[in-house]
Amino acid sequence: MTVVIGFEGSANKIGIGIIRDGEVLSNPRRTYITPPGQGFMPSDTARHHRAVILTVLKEALEQAGLKPADIDCVAYTKGPGMGAPLVTVALVARTVAQLWGKPLLGVNHCIGHIEMGRLITKANNPTVLYVSGGNTQVIAYSERRYRIFGETIDIAVGNCLDRFARVIKISNDPSPGYNIEQMAKRGSQYVELPYTVKGMDVSFSGILSYIEEVSHKMLSSGQCAAEDLCFSLQETLFSMLVEITERAMAHCGSQEVLIVGGVGCNLRLQEMMGVMCKERGAKLFATDERFCIDNGAMIAQAGWEMFRSGQVTELEDSWITQRYTCLYLVSASGSLWEMNVILEIQNGHLWLNDRAFCSTKLEPMFFQGPPAKRLLIIRNSSAMSS
Amino acid sequence: MAATDGERNKLEFSLDVPFPSSREAAIALRSLSPDREPRKGGISKQLTVSDSTLSVRWSADEARILRVSVNSFLDHLSLVMETMEMFGPRCPPQ
Repeated sequence: MTVVIGFEGSANKIGIGIIRDGEVLSNPRRTYITPPGQGFMPSDTARHHRAVILTVLKEALEQAGLKPADIDCVAYTKGPGMGAPLVTVALVARTVAQLWGKPLLGVNHCIGHIEMGRLITKANNPTVLYVSGGNTQVIAYSERRYRIFGETIDIAVGNCLDRFARVIKISNDPSPGYNIEQMAKRGSQYVELPYTVKGMDVSFSGILSYIEEVSHKMLSSGQCAAEDLCFSLQETLFSMLVEITERAMAHCGSQEVLIVGGVGCNLRLQEMMGVMCKERGAKLFATDERFCIDNGAMIAQAGWEMFRSGQVTELEDSWITQRYTCLYLVSASGSLWEMNVILEIQNGHLWLNDRAFCSTKLEPMFFQGPPAKRLLIIRNSSAMSS
Repeated sequence: MAATDGERNKLEFSLDVPFPSSREAAIALRSLSPDREPRKGGISKQLTVSDSTLSVRWSADEARILRVSVNSFLDHLSLVMETMEMFGPRCPPQ
């Protein structure tokens, strides 16, 4: 039996979860909720996390009925996310790992979402739609590798929703997205908004600017209600997401869709995705708010898989990183290998420059897809890891 | 105790933190060391341990940058110390 404790705090949620071989033993969480019209700033969020993290840790151990000695590995979010909250959580993870004499493991937040979704839903070979306040990506698992098929070229879908909520002062409690979803149910009039799918990618910033500009005018003149705007925004954004997900499925012949990330618990998104899946004879997998929204168990689960494949993070390498692309692969034996490495470009192909990776005797990494875009991502990630 | 270094015109700040034992001081050092300063240039920070004392020395171009770094270090330090008190071997949580 392998027991992993996972620490997550990359945004406004702080969560600590304990996983024992696929079983969630505990997963307490707190959310930093700001007043209507306000987003969460990194330093205030970090202060919130500092104030509650030790209480949450105590809860996680108590609810699981475990003592520190029962834990095999301490996993924490290495990135991506907001710097100050990430550091807060990493500090506690590093300290308890040393106090308890346990190995430490830095986990990519995106991978946590995907692996938690796979664990809960038992999806086998899904096309993953990862939608949250910080990320929007369609990731398909083909030939033992996760590949990013499409993504946002500007802001995340959740960020678009959150910022719209701020414009018309929708409450952030329990979350702006949840409140938009409830209001949208009462919307009846569809307000036409820009629809911006660009090949495999999507763009949301223009939609946000447009709705920011028209909303006050339309609301004050009585042309439409706030509920209608919520409804129209959801329909537009989610249609775009369904479209790029379907295209990725067609590309790789996938018959499963898995929705993960905070926006993934939106039932209207699940419903729209379900219609598309039904038409294609595919299956939809989604989870509820406990596992969709950032939580500690997801970091524990990805950490569990990495730990079982023999990986650990040395303390001196345990720095956090605000930008961290979702690049990792699954070896022939099914174990998870994180690509926390420098990527090199040679002969038009991308090569991994990492000893641990080479020792698994996998082929050098090479991405398909529009070369210019892929190269851009790789340049970013090599700059990040150097 | 900020002082201006005449030669390089840098602000210097140093802090000594006593811990109950050398083990705790070493843990704090390793917990607090990995993250680099968020900004590029303008400030440097060095952490060392001797026996049960953690020593930190800053060198910065501007007081404003120094204040931000020292402030956030103190926040981090107190979190690490609280974690040790609550989850360390002296006070097991159960």
